[in-house]
Amino acid sequence: MARVKLTNVGKVYPNGTSAVRDMNLEIRQGEFLCVLGPSGCGKSTTLRMIAGLEEVSSGTIEIDGENVVGMPSRERDIAMVFENYALYPHLSVFDNIAMPLVARRTPKPEIRERIRGMAESLGITEHLRKRPSRLSGGQRQRVALARAMIRRPKMFLMDEPLGHLEEYLRIELRREIRSLHEATGGTTFYITHDQEEAAAVSDRIAVMYQGEIQQTGSMADLIERPANRFVAEFVGEPPINVFEGISVQEGRLEIGDCRIPLNTDLSDACRLQPPGSAGIRPARLSVAGPDSHGLSAVARSVQPMGEWGAVLCETPAGEATAVVPSAALPAEDARIKLVVDPDHVHLFDARARNIRFAGN
Amino acid sequence: MTGTAALPAGPARIPGPGTSLRLGDYARYLTASIFVGFCLFPFYMVLSTSVKSESDIFSWPPAWVFELTFDNFYAALFVFGGTGVLPFLINSLIITALSTLLAVGLGSMAAYGLTRFRVVGGNHIFFFILSTRFAPPVAFVVPIYLMARETQLLDTHLALILIYTSMNLSLVVWIIRGFFEAIPVEIEEAAQVDGYTRLQIFRKVAIPLVKPGLITTSILSAIMSWNEFLIATVITQNTASTLPVYLAGFSGSMGLEWGPYMAVGAMAVLPIMIFTLVLQRHLIRGLTFGAVR
Repeated sequence: MARVKLTNVGKVYPNGTSAVRDMNLEIRQGEFLCVLGPSGCGKSTTLRMIAGLEEVSSGTIEIDGENVVGMPSRERDIAMVFENYALYPHLSVFDNIAMPLVARRTPKPEIRERIRGMAESLGITEHLRKRPSRLSGGQRQRVALARAMIRRPKMFLMDEPLGHLEEYLRIELRREIRSLHEATGGTTFYITHDQEEAAAVSDRIAVMYQGEIQQTGSMADLIERPANRFVAEFVGEPPINVFEGISVQEGRLEIGDCRIPLNTDLSDACRLQPPGSAGIRPARLSVAGPDSHGLSAVARSVQPMGEWGAVLCETPAGEATAVVPSAALPAEDARIKLVVDPDHVHLFDARARNIRFAGN
Repeated sequence: MTGTAALPAGPARIPGPGTSLRLGDYARYLTASIFVGFCLFPFYMVLSTSVKSESDIFSWPPAWVFELTFDNFYAALFVFGGTGVLPFLINSLIITALSTLLAVGLGSMAAYGLTRFRVVGGNHIFFFILSTRFAPPVAFVVPIYLMARETQLLDTHLALILIYTSMNLSLVVWIIRGFFEAIPVEIEEAAQVDGYTRLQIFRKVAIPLVKPGLITTSILSAIMSWNEFLIATVITQNTASTLPVYLAGFSGSMGLEWGPYMAVGAMAVLPIMIFTLVLQRHLIRGLTFGAVR
């Protein structure tokens, strides 16, 4: 169990690319922190700097209060799971799992004992004598997990461990990863670009984009209180509706032909920083008859998905998606009104910050 | 012979025993046999001449059926040159074994260092290493002779071991480099995180994964050292002379004794052939690794 603290960490590659910029992040003891971001956002680089596989250009990384910058990986007491498993192809599954223990000169009977227990809990006992090449992807990643967990390290680093696996295996394995994290009580730093996976395994999610942490918080935080337009657009399924060309006048937000009254705090804030765009989650739009008060729309496509359904609409302000209960789904090509909940409108200023939370 | 043995389905169709051969198959086998026979004929002549008596050797048309005799081998082993072939055979074995071991050992370390670490001018170093083979060896003979004389290494095993090692190094470095580059970096990173030092990773992870490359370069290096004649004949007089030097001696002073000559030739071919065949079996097994993704 460890506490990890990144202070002003930066990474500039020899070719001049700045992969991580001035990053501050703290991973609490025993926490499962997920870093979520599109590919190329610097999340892998961050993990590799914590692992000691990548040099740090600036700033400090502390594990349990000790600055580990410059310390070789083997002395950091960490374990890592790679996206492509990175098993040793020339060794049996047993020897693969034993490698971290052998490096620390663990007595052989103890190695055997611990591997037996670990293999049982991951359901790979019958494969211990095989080479990794004879295992399926899911089995290989289980072996990689066993290799990481066998030595109760201070922390686990997982770099998209489920990226290469099929959907059903991902769901099965992420549950196992979460329960292993709880059983070992370790601190876990987990990287993914899959928000559903992040929500399922983690205690806290850090959204990263262009080398910077955009926001950290729970999935609910990211959905309900996105710090900026990038977070609002990246997190949430189906994606948030963003309306450009809006204006706020006399405490009312104008989207297309619809005027939404804003509360005084927000309209005051808008006077200081005029918003450039507005975001509304599809679930925060409701469908009403054409005579109601709201944003006029034509339902172009209606997709029932069980209890809920999605409506793709054309509005004077652009396209919009609404997620509504199946009973409230309109007919295709019907003229409707989209009713906006004013408390769940996100207004973004010229620098794409969410005006509602920009003061924090 | 039941002919039902299930052969694993390979990429090429190999008719097993019992399967009927079509005319096309016969034609193909015949062509292949003629070609192989043509290639192996000189080797057959060496072997058959070495076990013929003097009269059979010179009979015309050549005696296809003849009486086996091992007199030539006896003469080669114990009579010729006063000492026979044995000391030269031993010299060749020592020099080939040590120079191959050194070249493959040092070469794989150099290749590993150059592929895994950021070395200033790494690619230029690779080019330099290869460039040592650009000039024909004849161009180096005199300087090498002078260097050996000045260091008092003339006619020593050490001289040939050092020269052959350096000649083989460039080949080893270039071939093994490709093998190291094929290892996904993540495997070695996993070992770093698992608690291993670079040297341990080299020994326990990298080297086992490039085994096919080590075998290939061992074979090539050994063949080169075993057969090298030019430098051996200049540098050595007697104590460190290798088989090719001894073989060349036959055509000199005493006229050509074809029988013993061919017997020595046969003996020169066999060790390297056995070495290659033994290693080759590991080579095929080694090539089927690869379990990263």
